Parts: sequence; C-alpha cells; structure tokens
Amino acid sequence: MIDSLYIAWQYVRWNRGKTLVLITSITLIAFLPLALQIVLQESEHQLQSRAVNTPLLIGAKGSALDLVMNSLYFDDEAPQAINMQAVGQVEDTDLAQAIPLYVRFQSRGFPIVGTSLDYFDFRQLQIEQGRMYAFLGETVIGADVAERLAVVPGGSLVSSPDNLFDIAGVYPLKMKVSGVLARSHSPDDLAIFVDLRTAWVIQGFGHGHQDLVKSRDATVILNQDEKTVTANAKLLQYTEISEDNIDSFHFHGDESIYPITAVLAQPHDDKSSALLRGRYLDDIVYQVVKPDDVIEGLMENIFRIKNVINAVIFIVGIATVLTIVLVFILSLRIRRDEMNTIFRIGCSRMTTMRLLAAEILIILLASALLCTALLWLVKINSGGLVRSFIL
Amino acid sequence: MKSKTCCVAVQGRKMFDKFLTPCCLIVACVLSFSTARADDKFEIYTVNYPLQYFAQRIGGQHVNVKFPAPADVDPAFWMPDVKIIGDYQQADLILLNGAGYAKWVSKVSLPRRKLVNTSSIFKDDYIKIDSEITHQHGPAGDHSHAGIAFTTWLDFTQASRQAEKIAAAMKNARPGLAEEFEQNFKQLNHDLMQLDARMSELSSLQPAQPLLASHPVYQYLSRRYELNLKSLMWEPGVYPEPAEWQVLNLILRRHEAEWMLWEDQPIEKTQKQLSASGVDVVVFSPCMNRPQKGDFMTVMQANIDALADVFSD
Repeated sequence: MIDSLYIAWQYVRWNRGKTLVLITSITLIAFLPLALQIVLQESEHQLQSRAVNTPLLIGAKGSALDLVMNSLYFDDEAPQAINMQAVGQVEDTDLAQAIPLYVRFQSRGFPIVGTSLDYFDFRQLQIEQGRMYAFLGETVIGADVAERLAVVPGGSLVSSPDNLFDIAGVYPLKMKVSGVLARSHSPDDLAIFVDLRTAWVIQGFGHGHQDLVKSRDATVILNQDEKTVTANAKLLQYTEISEDNIDSFHFHGDESIYPITAVLAQPHDDKSSALLRGRYLDDIVYQVVKPDDVIEGLMENIFRIKNVINAVIFIVGIATVLTIVLVFILSLRIRRDEMNTIFRIGCSRMTTMRLLAAEILIILLASALLCTALLWLVKINSGGLVRSFIL
Repeated sequence: MKSKTCCVAVQGRKMFDKFLTPCCLIVACVLSFSTARADDKFEIYTVNYPLQYFAQRIGGQHVNVKFPAPADVDPAFWMPDVKIIGDYQQADLILLNGAGYAKWVSKVSLPRRKLVNTSSIFKDDYIKIDSEITHQHGPAGDHSHAGIAFTTWLDFTQASRQAEKIAAAMKNARPGLAEEFEQNFKQLNHDLMQLDARMSELSSLQPAQPLLASHPVYQYLSRRYELNLKSLMWEPGVYPEPAEWQVLNLILRRHEAEWMLWEDQPIEKTQKQLSASGVDVVVFSPCMNRPQKGDFMTVMQANIDALADVFSD
C-alpha cells in the first residue's frame, strides 16, 4: 500500500494544477455548509444569551424586532422615540428597576449609547483602563472601539452629525474618553457609552453658551426687553464640555419629556414580570417585549433561510461531486496508455485500482486537512465575525 | 527520671503548640469576620447637611452617612471633584434634596437606582422662582432659567416628609433593620413636629408683622408659617452697594419691617447701617452645611429662640 501511496503521491505532485483544483472544489463543498453552521450557531448563541439576560424591554408601539435589535445590539435602525415618563412609569409600579436607553447617535461608525450607570451593573461591565464617566460630556468606550480607533482614556471622540444636510442642526459634541471597558465579547465591546444627559446634549436639548445677559457683543443680541433676550445664530455654543464651561451647560424644558429609545426593565421576580407585562397589554403608546421571544422568532426565520442555503449547497455539492467523478473518468481515459504500461510490466488490475484509490485518498485527505484548518479559523473568529457582520 | 520529665514536657509543649496555633487562627478569623460585619455599614451620601442629619438619626449605628462638601461652601452651588463623584457612584444610597438643589447633580453621572429624591413626595408644592430674564436662541424657542426654591426643610412638615422618604428608602435597602429605622424615624419626626409646633405658635403671635430676609432662602418657612417676608440678595460677609441700600429704603417705605433674617451674622458695618435704618438683625440659619457647633436640631431651636424676640417685640 505504501508503494501505491508513493506512486500516487508522485502522480499528484506531477499534476499539481489538476490536484489543486480538485482539492479546492472538495474543500469548498465541505467547508461552506459547515462554516455556515458554525456562524449560525454563534449568532444564535450571542443573540439568545443577550436576549435571555434582558428580561423586558419597553418601547414605542411598532416593530418589536427593531426595538430589540436597537436596544440589545445597538443596531442603527432606531425605533420611534418614547420619553422619560416611560422610565418613571416603570419605577412607580415598584415592580422593576428601569434603565433608560437612548441609542440614536454615532461616532466614527460606532453607536453612542446614552444610558444610566445602572446599565454597567446590569451587564456586569468592568472598567479596564481609566475610570467610569463622571461629568457631562465624558464617555466610556468598549474594548473593540478603543482598539480599532486607537483611543485611550484622555483621548476624545466627536459625535457624527445626525443629518449631513442639516447645516443648521446641532453641533457635533467632542466627548472626552474617561475609560475603556474590559472586553465582554458582546455588542458592548463595539459601543460608546455616555450618560443619558450627554446624549441629550448631542441632540441639542442641553447646551452651553456665553452668558447672554453679561454679553458685551451687541451683534449677538437680536432682541432684548425686560424679560427676554433673543440671540441670533452668532451666539457661540460650546462644542466641548470642559471644566471651564460645564457650569454654563443647562437643559431646557421638562426632562421627563426628553427622548429615549427604550426602557430596559428588570423585574424583581417572575410575578412582577407578569404583572408589569399585564399593565402594558392595552397600552396604545408603549409595547413591552420579552427579547427572548423576539429573538426566538428571528432565529426561526434565520434557520428557515439556512435550510434553503443548505439545499442550494447540497445541489451544488452534487454537481461538484459529479464533476469530480467526470474529471477522474476523463483522467483515466487520458491515462489509458499509462495504465496499459503498468499492466504490461506485470501489475495486476487490483494494483492499478489501488493506485487510483491512493490518489483519491491523498486528495480527500488534503481537502479534509484544509477544510479543518479553515473551520478552525472560522470557529476561533466566529464571535468577532458575528459581532462585526451580523449583529 | 529528669530526662523523662523533660521529654514529657517537650511533648506537652508540642501538643500545646499543635492545638494552640489552629485555635488562635480560628479565633482570629472569627474576630476579623465579626469586625468586618460590624464595619459593613450601609453607606449613604447626601447633598446637604439636613439630609445627612436625618439619615444618621434614622440609620443610627447601622449607617455611615457622608456629606463630603467642605464646611465653608454653600452645598447648593458646590461642584464636587471627580474623586468625590466616584465616591457618590459607589454609595449604597444617594439622598437628593430635589427642588433643583445641588445643580451639580444634573452635570454628573450617578446611578439612577441609588438616587432618592427626598422631596419628590411634595413636588407639586415646590415654590417656583420666576427669573427676571429669559432668552431665546436655536430651535428650542423662548425659554427662561427660572428656578425652584430649594430650602424645603425650613418647612418642618416638609422636613418630616423628607425624613419619611429617607426612612422608606433605607427600609427598602435593609429590610432586616426596618423596625429599628421606623423607631428612629418616629423619634426624629416627633422632634421635627415639635419645631413645627413652636414655629407655628410663634408666628401666630404677630402674623402680619413685616419682615425682611437678606437672601431668598426662606420661601418655604414663609409659606408654612405665614410670614410677611420680603427678600433681598445680600451676603453676610459683603457690605451692600449704595444701590442695594436704595432698594432697601424703597422696600421699607411700603413694607415697614423692623427685623431682617440673615443666614449668618452680617459684618458689623452692615449691622450698624441697618440699625440706622431701624432694622435689627436676627440670624436664622438654614443649616445647609454642617454647623460649627451642635447639630440640625440645636441650630433650628436656636433659630426659633431668636425669632421669639422678633414676634414678642
């Protein structure tokens, strides 16, 4: 058998091109469905583990999937905004702890998550470098954000304009990075966290500017009477919150009507959860969803798609196998003289068959090795792949 | 014989050491554990001294109530540094006065679930202060920086309700100590109600008596005890400008006050000038920060004692 393998090895070495094509075809046919399986398993794991760990979400009536994807995975498709009264409503029930979330803005392609400090306890996120944000305008960033943008505590990030064509819109806010979170292998690694009020400053609900009453620049004042000072667009608004100007930052209006995208509710127990959900059954403004249920529905759809993809791969696989068989048959025809020579020098038909079997074995082994190596690469990077390209 | 005795002694010593060492270790562990339990106090941070006092009275030995503002600052306008904000973030409970007190709270990040707004229970009764100036710019439209009167505890019934909210939060956080907290709250409430009764009694002696206040911090005191009070914007340590004296004289023409309430003793020059205008000084400290002597109760009692002269005059 060793002799057969040796001769077969010499043959496949000599016909490098043909061998390479065969190995690649077989590898791809085996690799694609298996890799898809690994990625889907990882997606399912990541989607479900985060969903299972998030008891209830309250948001505006509408797409439950948008609400979950935005609140759990910081998807850039923001659901319709609700206001802070929703947080107060949950707190007043005394059935759950409420964590507000405002996921609408971005900075250099990463989502800015406006929330309260309770979020970090809830997700058990730890600070690895620097410290937790303390002042308005400070931010704590996920491990991947820090790595990809090469930002460290003390650095800064600028919020992206909400709308590029709205030149009269709010100014981007330069946020100071106070800390970097330890890697959690979750979408939190790819997020920029700020206090809810900082998110409202980005939106323009809060701002800091020179004192209009004390201003000596008359060209800033559009109109002034006993009670009202009206400024024009020349009024300088601060685009960075610093120790020197933080006192000038203020919010207008009632904070309870400021926007958020969701309330993450953490009921005290199952009974509280059921009671809380019951309260929103007939609500016309809010919906309460169990992320676990929503993700389960999503996964069912994903698996339906996966079955279709698998069927396609199966058919393509059959076609490829048939082609490979054809390649071998044609190859045998081309090698008919070579086979006759082997037979004439005294080798039996069985020896010829062994030679051919050894060639196939070598090609299959090489494909299996290559496929395993590729699958191993996919497996170790599946978490990152899923977080970057799917979630 | 001697060597045998010696041998027994050595063996005895070895046996003693063998048992003594683990015993000592166990005792040390138990002691350190019990010390740790004793030190495992409930940590509460507050934004002013009255809340610190209420929380300490209610929590007693089980709580460690901290109010980290320096003694010489007005806590309403103080800004803590990053280290102190970090301490607030780590506390078990953070007691806020509400009513817009301690503006720094809106400029820092504190964990929502630890925050207790002690005056939220009577938020509909807040006294709004109309700002003289409003301004307009950007898409937000016309707006003013009007505020809310924040010395809520000078109405002692409100102080009692704030204390009640503190007690409820503490009981919620440490259900095992609920009974003790409730007992302590009842005692505190009794003391506050005594202050309220004394204050009501005093103010009823001369209900329409015109009074002045050096600073607009007595709104709730004035409302609860029906004081006929007009406020200026004077500081105890600063001699008022001539324009401010003119404003005083204008007020005195329509509001013939003989007493002016001060947060602290004014400088002598101010005091003399006021006397010349026929106005005497009475110190009624809101006790926002830790008093140099005594505590919240003794300061409030001294305040009421001082007012006794005003209303018996």
